[in-house]
Amino acid sequence: MTVAQMTTTDSVHRKLCHDLLDAIEQGDLAAVERCYAPGMTMWNNLSATTSTRDENLAALARGYEIQRRRMYNNRIIDTFDDGFVARYTCHVVLHDGSTVALSSCLVATVRNGEITHLADYMDSSKFRRRK
Amino acid sequence: MTEYEIRELCHRFFDAYQDGRVDVLREILSDDCIIWHNVFGRETTRDENLAAYPDSYKGQRRRTYNDRVINAFDDGFVIQYSLNGVMKTGHKGALWICIVGKCIDGKITRIDEYMDSSKFAAWMGAQ
Repeated sequence: MTVAQMTTTDSVHRKLCHDLLDAIEQGDLAAVERCYAPGMTMWNNLSATTSTRDENLAALARGYEIQRRRMYNNRIIDTFDDGFVARYTCHVVLHDGSTVALSSCLVATVRNGEITHLADYMDSSKFRRRK
Repeated sequence: MTEYEIRELCHRFFDAYQDGRVDVLREILSDDCIIWHNVFGRETTRDENLAAYPDSYKGQRRRTYNDRVINAFDDGFVIQYSLNGVMKTGHKGALWICIVGKCIDGKITRIDEYMDSSKFAAWMGAQ
């Protein structure tokens, strides 16, 4: 007898959130793209502007050029009907060995298993406090 | 708590902050409520936060918590909003902030606040 695996909106959204952060962490832009809906948009509190999916993917690619690695640690995820909020510490190591830790918050709107909108909140003053 | 109760609690909290109702804030925040800010990377208690409230208004004529987008989950909420401030100089500034709140029995037990401190000077109208 097989038992059907039970999924809930909560578990589906949590998995999507982890899939996205894991993919960004691993530099797997194809996997990042799979998390995004075709018309996905992203807003951030630094520039208060909205970018497209392609602009977001291009920005991620540029980031990898100047970073040795980045990790999304201390993830705390809460889900709601049509999205999730992820709080995490983004630990970045640059090519010169300096490190920076950003405590950030990402709010996602999800439809049909894909992210349609992201809103990213962080403190840019921490960029200047590299160790 | 139901989704309605959580959303209502969230609105009451921001209305009270906007209106300077420290008495309401003290009622809404649990006795052991913790407030964490990504700017400082440390936690403060409810009483520390409320004691600092008057100082946080220095130089400001008013501030309003607008464009509230609230999503509720089982034990809390996430709110994205614009903090619009009018300084005593007449300067107007805006900050975009996200707060995650945890709620139990009609009270907020924890707040995690995310904002960009690089925008503070411009918000206050510094040259």
